[in-house]
Amino acid sequence: MKDIKFSARNVQVYYGTTHAIKDVNVDIADKTVTAFIGPSGCGKSTFLRSLNRMNDTIDICRVEGDILLDGEDIYDKRVDPVQLRAKVGMVFQKPNPFPKSIYDNIAYGPRIHGLAKNKTDLDEIVESSLKRAALWNEVKDRLDAPGTGLSGGQQQRLCIARAVATQPEVLLMDEPCSALDPIATAQVEELIDELRSNFSVVIVTHSMQQAARVSQKTAFFHLGNLVEYGETGQIFTNPVDPRTESYISGRIG
Amino acid sequence: MTDASANNSASGKSSLLVQDARTRKRNAVEARFKWYGITAIAIGCVFLILLVTAITFNGSRAFRQTFVTVPVTLDAAAIEAAEASMMKTSQYRKMIEAALLTEVAEANIETDMDAGKLGDMLSSSAPAQMREFVLANPNRIGDTVSFDFLTSSRVDGYLKGRVTRDSLANDKNLDAAHLDLVDQMRDIGMVVKRFNIDFIIGSDASEERPEQAGMGVSILGSLFMMFVVLLLSLPIGVAASIYLEEFAPKSRWTDLIEVNISNLAAVPSIVFGILGVAVFIQIGHLPKSAPLVGGLVLTLMTLPTIIISTRAALKAVPPSIREAALGVGASKMQSVFHHVLPLAMPGILTGTIIGLAQALGETAPLLLIGMVGFIATNYPTGPIDGFLSPNSAMPAQIYEWAKRADPAYYERAWGGIIILLVFLLAMNVIAVILRRRFERRW
Amino acid sequence: MPFLWILIALIIIASVAFVLGRQRAVQSAGGDSRKLHSLPGFYGWNTAIGAMVPSIVILAVWMIAQPIIVNMSIAPMITSVEASDSATLGLVLSNVTNVSEGLDAAIAAGAITDNEVAALNAETDNIKGLLSQVGKVVGSDITPEILDAARASRDMNATGTLFKTIVVLAAAIAGGAFALTKIRPDLWARNQVETFVRYVLITAASIAILTTIGIVLSLIFNTVKFFGMYSATDFFFGLSWLPRFQGESDLGILPLMWGTVYISIIALLVAVPIGLFAAIYLSEYASKGVRAVAKPALEVLAGIPTIVYGLFALLTVGPLLKSAFGDGGVLGVQWMGSADAAMTAGLVMGIMLIPFVSSLSDDIINAVPQAMRDGSYGLGATKSETIKQVVLPAALPGIVGAVLLAASRAIGETMIVVLGAGAAAQLSLNPFDAMTTVTTRIVAQLTGDTDFASATALVAFALGMTLFVVTLGLNILALYIVRKYREQYE
Repeated sequence: MKDIKFSARNVQVYYGTTHAIKDVNVDIADKTVTAFIGPSGCGKSTFLRSLNRMNDTIDICRVEGDILLDGEDIYDKRVDPVQLRAKVGMVFQKPNPFPKSIYDNIAYGPRIHGLAKNKTDLDEIVESSLKRAALWNEVKDRLDAPGTGLSGGQQQRLCIARAVATQPEVLLMDEPCSALDPIATAQVEELIDELRSNFSVVIVTHSMQQAARVSQKTAFFHLGNLVEYGETGQIFTNPVDPRTESYISGRIG
Repeated sequence: MTDASANNSASGKSSLLVQDARTRKRNAVEARFKWYGITAIAIGCVFLILLVTAITFNGSRAFRQTFVTVPVTLDAAAIEAAEASMMKTSQYRKMIEAALLTEVAEANIETDMDAGKLGDMLSSSAPAQMREFVLANPNRIGDTVSFDFLTSSRVDGYLKGRVTRDSLANDKNLDAAHLDLVDQMRDIGMVVKRFNIDFIIGSDASEERPEQAGMGVSILGSLFMMFVVLLLSLPIGVAASIYLEEFAPKSRWTDLIEVNISNLAAVPSIVFGILGVAVFIQIGHLPKSAPLVGGLVLTLMTLPTIIISTRAALKAVPPSIREAALGVGASKMQSVFHHVLPLAMPGILTGTIIGLAQALGETAPLLLIGMVGFIATNYPTGPIDGFLSPNSAMPAQIYEWAKRADPAYYERAWGGIIILLVFLLAMNVIAVILRRRFERRW
Repeated sequence: MPFLWILIALIIIASVAFVLGRQRAVQSAGGDSRKLHSLPGFYGWNTAIGAMVPSIVILAVWMIAQPIIVNMSIAPMITSVEASDSATLGLVLSNVTNVSEGLDAAIAAGAITDNEVAALNAETDNIKGLLSQVGKVVGSDITPEILDAARASRDMNATGTLFKTIVVLAAAIAGGAFALTKIRPDLWARNQVETFVRYVLITAASIAILTTIGIVLSLIFNTVKFFGMYSATDFFFGLSWLPRFQGESDLGILPLMWGTVYISIIALLVAVPIGLFAAIYLSEYASKGVRAVAKPALEVLAGIPTIVYGLFALLTVGPLLKSAFGDGGVLGVQWMGSADAAMTAGLVMGIMLIPFVSSLSDDIINAVPQAMRDGSYGLGATKSETIKQVVLPAALPGIVGAVLLAASRAIGETMIVVLGAGAAAQLSLNPFDAMTTVTTRIVAQLTGDTDFASATALVAFALGMTLFVVTLGLNILALYIVRKYREQYE
């Protein structure tokens, strides 16, 4: 059994008067890929965004219950969301490189968090991050080119490299492949599998096949409830809850 | 991949509950940055407050004016003699001055001034006021009529705190003794400061008579101009917008028109004044200083604004409405005029009112075509005269007063601004109401 | 007002045509309007258009052509001027026009009769005095030659106007009658009317182009005239501005340009930081409540007419600055001589431009996609880091465009500088000195009784031309940058 990274207890999320997440309890293990699946609007992205307090940027959003990262409540008053997000990085649905060079895109996080002592340090971080995101060979000759000039798949891997460069402990991915073509998707999935050796990865996905391919643990959300959580193999072959079964067999979705 | 950074993140586990030094520093920067923004907003608001205070503080005084009540006996012989003489008003003046002296004496106010010197505290408009009354009411000759004469602007300024005994040291008309007298006259109610309707409806006066000057004629000039602007810019603007939004093919010509309109919207207003001088006056031989010409110039100036807002209003009407009309066999023209245009009308009117408000406050082009302030001395005799005879406009009148280096005129300039802003405020309120009332969410 | 009468007559003819056209259409269908191609009203409109359009075209052409033809035919009467000297000839002819218009006005006012006009003698009668009685001021002397030409031009104009009336009304009737004969049940009247309406719409849209052409032509025409009297090199490179009505003026634009640019820079230094930070705060930090108050407050600043700002500069800010920086001021420095100064005008203009900069920047900052901000927050950036390193660089082209538009507004602004900046055209470095700008000089040279023949008046057009070219350049550049920027995120 691996260490528990995140542990959520009785989590409720509200958007204004809408109750978006209802009483979710879940433990997310370190160095594991955990997939959140479920029909659209089931709250899986909302729950993901509450793990690094990205929901704070939305005025009307309110979170109740405890979410512990390494045993510390991330919604504690003393926690600076900025510091939290350095530990819990995020990759978004649509690739969103900054309108800067490839190098500056990667160096952005280390710069604001002061991770590099000097230029050589920074160069190293950029190189290793790009290597980890399996992008180094494609872009090493044009680090000064704008990040927006890359192809969709490359852009998304650039965003993953950008998140990796701040040396987070957890990587949250919100449908990272939904805007990509099948080949780029395969590359990113392969990458996610590799990232598992260093990080805890939480991925929200629409595609059950993708969840089955990349994750070890799967959580199924439905209408704001966490219906079932377990080993990926077990969820897909032998679900306990009838709702999970109907979703997997394609009857709801 | 077990390189240094991975170890680093594993071993360097810091508690989230403690802010590290770097985060504290970054948060300080964050707070500072936020304060810059708050300061900027605050500066903007302070300027606005300063401006509003300056206007209300200085301008509100222009609406009250000092009057002196003098009963004058309309002596038939004296009036006949005055009407027969060359300097009619100076004869009337003498009558008023004599009456004033008597009145002061009757009120038991001691003074060693003679009638002429005492009369210096009156506005030089007083004789004309009396003569007008006499000519209008010949049957009152022989009666004693109580007149409310304007005092001179210095006396008025004294009661408003603008003029002091010190500041009169070098004045050739009035001295401190007059002010002592005014104090006593005020105590017995002979001199009063009260609301002066003539400031709003009166005409401009000469440089020496600020107490008599009013905005009335220039307000009329502005209204005649606005009428021209509305009459021309609304139909032309709507027609142009309908063409560009509904019919124009994507062509070079359409592109050219569009670029042109957005550029015209940013051309300095004074350039439109130059256009007015050259095209309407130099070539077109239209009368100088006429509200008609002013209206034409302002029309050209506001057209781009109106076209831009009208197009936005047309664009906001969903295509389904057009399709529904076409679907029952209406022509494209009918679908636009029967369905789209009525639905867009509130938006169009709102944009037009805002364009008109802009035109109402514009000064520079009017100066070039000769609508300067000092022209606004006579009321137009009729509607056609109103469009064609020389007149000024509110902002030009204010500019004229600001140029006359007399604090009494400065006060009137501020007061004029209040009147102008009341008009603008009213127009904007109408625009807001229109928008609220007819706002439609598709 | 014969012109007004012609218009009224035309409207009556068109109304009659409408009624006749409608009737005839219904008749032609045997009283059953369902057999018609279009609604009966369209046939009426079609007939009315047939009456109006040709006659109005003829009227317009006639009104443009008549003065030209009259001028051409009286030009030979002016023997005192060489025919080749077209500039002088033009001036004399415009005098002739003035005199003949003055005579018309005098007759209308009852100051003189037709027969007396014929008997006027330029040598003995005070024609100038007569004309000035009716408000027509003629600059130069009225020679017998000019008087003769004016009489001839009056006669020709009278004949011309008579014929014009006849021809135009005849055209209206003929056009209406012709359209009437065309009416048949299967005539596509609606389509014809709609085509006409379409042309009306196109004409309206083209007025924007006509305005620009009008601006450009009136500027070029008079500027060329000015450069005929004053050397272009002296105008563009002259270091001194000293107009004299007697002649021998120094009309160098450089001191004016210097004042314009100096004041505009002060204004931008005030407006850009304040406006930009206000926009950033409003779009990224402010709560709904603050936004609901602060945004309209700034918009109020934008809706205030410039004359108000001018007065504010002249009477509030100027004296205030002088009490700080002037002789005997609070700060004990003597930098400021009078309340009119570049600083006064620049500061107030800056206030005026704050809402302009902030609302443009607000739009531009809001156009930066939220995904960009999320990406930065997701990495643990603070708001200010996100704004400074992601949002602003992304919005930079748009903000540059906004600043250029603000600069163009500052350069073209008139009333604030007329009232706040002073009138001294000097090349000074001290921001507390009085300076003057291109716009103030245009107002000064063109206000009052303008004689379009002197260099001191015509220089205003050259100044206007310079102003127009500079602001147009800035606008086109700014609009281009902003448009490119918008496309990037659409």
